[in-house]
Amino acid sequence: MKLRPMRTAVILGGLVALAAVGCATTAKSPTIGTGDPVADRQRLMKNVGANWADIQNKVKAGAPETVAVNAEALSLHAQRIPSLFPVGSGTDKSKAKPDIWQKWPEFEAAAKNLENRSATLRDQATAKDGAAVTATVGTFGRDACGACHTPFRVPPPQQQPAQPRS
Amino acid sequence: MGVLASRAWRLALPLLISLASLPALASAQAPSAAELARGKYVFGATGGCGCHTVPKQPVNAGGRRYDGPFGTVYSSNITPDRETGIGGWTDEQIITATRLGRRPNGERLIPVHPYTTFNGMAADDLKALVAFLRSVPPVKRANQPKKISVPMFESVFLPAWLAAFAPIENPPTSVPASGTARGEYLVRAVGHCGECHTPRTMTMATDNSRFLAGNPKGPEDSEVPNITPDKTTGLQWSEEEIADYLGSGNKPDGDVAGGLMGEVIEGTLSGYKDLSKADRLAIARYLKTIPPIKNKIGK
Repeated sequence: MKLRPMRTAVILGGLVALAAVGCATTAKSPTIGTGDPVADRQRLMKNVGANWADIQNKVKAGAPETVAVNAEALSLHAQRIPSLFPVGSGTDKSKAKPDIWQKWPEFEAAAKNLENRSATLRDQATAKDGAAVTATVGTFGRDACGACHTPFRVPPPQQQPAQPRS
Repeated sequence: MGVLASRAWRLALPLLISLASLPALASAQAPSAAELARGKYVFGATGGCGCHTVPKQPVNAGGRRYDGPFGTVYSSNITPDRETGIGGWTDEQIITATRLGRRPNGERLIPVHPYTTFNGMAADDLKALVAFLRSVPPVKRANQPKKISVPMFESVFLPAWLAAFAPIENPPTSVPASGTARGEYLVRAVGHCGECHTPRTMTMATDNSRFLAGNPKGPEDSEVPNITPDKTTGLQWSEEEIADYLGSGNKPDGDVAGGLMGEVIEGTLSGYKDLSKADRLAIARYLKTIPPIKNKIGK
């Protein structure tokens, strides 16, 4: 008679454990959206661009010490970049050059460079060092973004006007 | 005999003196720091003569590959190495090759080197540029021979094409110092923007009736943007935004330049990024004055 509650507990416990494993497996999944790497990385890069535009606007507005949150976002995004360029994802919809996969260590280094430069910018902003932030932002486009766009991306054909921002 | 010897000596003396003073003359002609700085600036205004450098390899040592309908060419070594570069050329020979497309032996350059555009460069800028090219470290790297696949391309087709189809710029007597004229000079001649941004006719000549209206079949398979001020298909950035872009690579929407535009902004030893704010604004102002051409590039 006392065995029944015990068995129920074991079964319930097992279900809970299974559910936990299931959740953990789901959490490990590398997708942040559709699972289509081209769509996902374009979405990520849009957000990188929005943060970068925000950083520049804040510096122009005389508030360089407020860019830490944007720089942190860039640094975290940069960590994801290599995983969003799996082999075979250079499709017609993508502006990624085949050189990415032919020179993979260089591509990974370029993503790491963005991560590190962004972390430097974040730390400078956190330390309220406005002069250092302004200096870093002055060359960041070329040496953090451009250093990867120049060898690894086919430029887009249309020049977009600035997006309206709230 | 004594008189003759004395006369001979008298005649020879000025010659000897002038010979002795040659090194002094040569050093008197050595470029000043200001001339070298000007040359580096002009070098940057061309985009760092980037076609002559393979990325991450020695600057100006050539060897970059260009495929065209005529075959394949490789850019030349323009370092001052005497054997494989331009160290043995006179200033005039370097300038002739740059703006007229002729080697010292009379051979024509394939117009992948944009001499029809660089012909519009002013003499003073070219002299400074040559002085700067001579100051860059020499690199011993033999030029790769071109592979021309079209029969009689250089003997018949190229001269005929140059005479009949190639638009050619005219050099100003002096370098425009400021304003829209300065911008025009930097865009049309030194910066050679039209080489990528102007569409080409069936003969592959730039179609200057649609100057800077974009090229759907640009170099390296890229679709090169229309940068005329057309309201729907052209460049709509403000003058300030254009000037910022040329200095930083940053676009107003948060994107950053890449590809060949990224290369010319960054340059090698100098690039568009090293242009003064006044010059970048002059370029922007000139771009606002060219005829708007409706030409949608890309989907």
